[in-house]
Amino acid sequence: MERDRPYAWSNAGFRWSVIALVVLTVGSFLVGFVVLPAVHKDFTVAGLWESICRAAGVPARWDAGATAKGKGSTDVVVVPALARTGGGDAIGRGATIAVQQCSMCHGAQGASEADAPNLAGQYPEVVHKQMQDYKRGDRGGTFMQTIARNLSDRDIADIATYYNSLPKARTAPARYSDTTAPALVRVGDPLRNIAPCIACHGGTDHKLGAPWLEGMPGAYLVAQLRDFRSGARHNDSHAQMRNMTRAMTDGEIADVAEFYARRDKTD
Amino acid sequence: MFLARRLVLAHFWVAFAGFLLAILLGEWQMYVRSPLHGWVNNPEHYYRSVTAHGTVMAYVLPTLVAMGFGYSICELALKRPLIGLRWAWAGFGLVVAGTVIAAATVAVGRASVLYTFYPPMIASAWYYIGVVLVVVGSWIWVALMSINLRAWRKANPGATVPLAMFGNVTGAYLWAWTSVGAAVEVLVLILPAALGLRDVIDAGLARVLFSWTLHAIVYFWLMPAYIAFYSIVPRAIGGRLYSDTMGRVAFVLFLVFSMPIGLHHTFADPQVGAGFKFVHAAMTAMVSVPTLLTVFTIVASVEIAGRLRGGKGAFGWVKALPWDNPMMLAVTFAFVMLGFGGAGGLINMSYQLNETIHNTQWVTGHFHLIFGGAIVIMYFMIAYELWPQLTGCATLPKGLVKAQLWLWFVGMMVLSMPWHLVGLLGMPRRMAYYDYTHPALQPQAWTVTASAIGGLILVVSAVLFVYVLATARRTSDSPAPFTFSAPAHAGERTPALLNTFGLWVGMMIALTIVNYGFPIVQLASLPGTAVPAISVGGP
Repeated sequence: MERDRPYAWSNAGFRWSVIALVVLTVGSFLVGFVVLPAVHKDFTVAGLWESICRAAGVPARWDAGATAKGKGSTDVVVVPALARTGGGDAIGRGATIAVQQCSMCHGAQGASEADAPNLAGQYPEVVHKQMQDYKRGDRGGTFMQTIARNLSDRDIADIATYYNSLPKARTAPARYSDTTAPALVRVGDPLRNIAPCIACHGGTDHKLGAPWLEGMPGAYLVAQLRDFRSGARHNDSHAQMRNMTRAMTDGEIADVAEFYARRDKTD
Repeated sequence: MFLARRLVLAHFWVAFAGFLLAILLGEWQMYVRSPLHGWVNNPEHYYRSVTAHGTVMAYVLPTLVAMGFGYSICELALKRPLIGLRWAWAGFGLVVAGTVIAAATVAVGRASVLYTFYPPMIASAWYYIGVVLVVVGSWIWVALMSINLRAWRKANPGATVPLAMFGNVTGAYLWAWTSVGAAVEVLVLILPAALGLRDVIDAGLARVLFSWTLHAIVYFWLMPAYIAFYSIVPRAIGGRLYSDTMGRVAFVLFLVFSMPIGLHHTFADPQVGAGFKFVHAAMTAMVSVPTLLTVFTIVASVEIAGRLRGGKGAFGWVKALPWDNPMMLAVTFAFVMLGFGGAGGLINMSYQLNETIHNTQWVTGHFHLIFGGAIVIMYFMIAYELWPQLTGCATLPKGLVKAQLWLWFVGMMVLSMPWHLVGLLGMPRRMAYYDYTHPALQPQAWTVTASAIGGLILVVSAVLFVYVLATARRTSDSPAPFTFSAPAHAGERTPALLNTFGLWVGMMIALTIVNYGFPIVQLASLPGTAVPAISVGGP
């Protein structure tokens, strides 16, 4: 009889298999969603239903108990789309704006003589993010905030395209095999949670939103690293640079900056 | 065998060639981060190697072994030619093509995301396409196993499916359902980002979907070993299988419980509710039941062999066992490693204990011991057992085989025990280098050297394994017919439920929906959870 109808309730094997699985499942859910949350204060404070919801990963109010928002970091989400550049007319428009508003500090060809950052060959998403941060006040700077406030999103995109089209001050990134580079640049310091510079800024890998640093003015790099360390500059996504610089000494900042600012022997 | 001889040989050779290359990469990884070598200057090279090692060892090797062994069982246990030989070759072609595409992408440094993908890291689309091809190739195998079983049933109405085939089809159904999680993750979330169609990815949802696959895939790896435990070991050592029914119970329990437990891999993930984490932990505990049943049944079967050979008393049968027999050695080593690995696994699955070892070298030690140790050593035995059938060679040289097994066991213990120890001390996994000059790390430096030495022993064993297989010469065209274990109680009636899969597949799907349905739907419908995709492998 059992051979004829294995999937019938009258078959004891079938019946007990199903009952056992249901009992086990219901029991696990009861323990996981009712019994265990009952001994946690933060689960039970708003009643049984709330505690079940929390155990399911869905608190009724997501931000309950969250502290007030601190000083803004950045609202710009760096996605690969920002790295796309426009065509020839975007370069032309960008050049027109740049010559009028940027070249005094950043140099006629995007290479600064005034310890402002070089922009020639800079990644478009970097220019885009920094300009948006200035515009929204997330990055400090009296001149830059004023200039950025008057630029439209398209203006910024065109400027980014224009600067990206110019030749870089140095085209080869520092490599891990370059033993003249400071250890922090090549391999970082894992025990202090300092990642190698070249893991994001080119050399080993380039991460979206990380600027091209080769040939940057040394004084600018020192100032930025110190500002990150003190928190005076805070527009880095997820506090990445603030975390990297927190453990760096003045000497290490100077070494790293000097390395990236180095000139080729022929210069 | 009838038709599948060349097919199975092709599966095994590709599997073992990949295995040999991947084990060399593994040993290189251990060497460069040990004190025997300076810091690896470019950590990217390390992660590239880890990705290749994991992809081959976790996807290519077990899939091809399970497929090849499955085709052999189809012909040897059902005693009829394989249906769908051309389709089987097509599936093999897909697996090989996928492996080559994925391996090439990893080799040029465009896919150093590790075999578990880890979104929001995004590799070149070719890597995922390669992995998908491997999985699609294996789905053809799943379909063929089902079709062959159906045809056999039609020709033998009312007959009991041989245990080996029952386990084989269990493994196929298990794999078909468990691969759905990662397939959805890759097709819906990862590939659109990898192809540049989307800039963002819901990393939390992706991890939950992957966990659906990540744990049950382990039982897919394990299935060939368990089939060998039940259907080959007792015969090979001159014993009887203590209980055929117990084997079936163990197989169907794996089917029901291996899927809906994967969230124990996400204990540290904030997007999953604590309630679901508990339910999955509780069900993970259930999965130890079929393993304990298996250990009991196989030890009882081995005891039968010992008593048949004249062993007496409570422990006299142990002494009487055929210790000279490679299979005896292999099953002993496998159970020792399964014991340590299983005990470690109970710690991993416990919500609180997991906190102490989460993402440490303990975890690396655990899965090397249980997969690389207990399961792969049975893969070796499966190959040794089938080789005379496949190549017409005589029985393989016993001395070399035993030396190979000893080296594998010793190597695996020397490799993985130090990992367990330093894992407890907090050494993180997936590190390209450790700073041994630091006074807090210096005392642990020797453990990494020890593991590197263990890895070297494993390399020697792997080379010996391939050497034994490669040097086997044809001695006859008609090898002695292959036999499976005979049960101790002949004529035992198999309950109809344990001769079919309907109830168990139904339970498997229902339990997966109950345990995964809500978290997946909730995460998928939650707005604002996507994060920027981070492409890996830039200039």
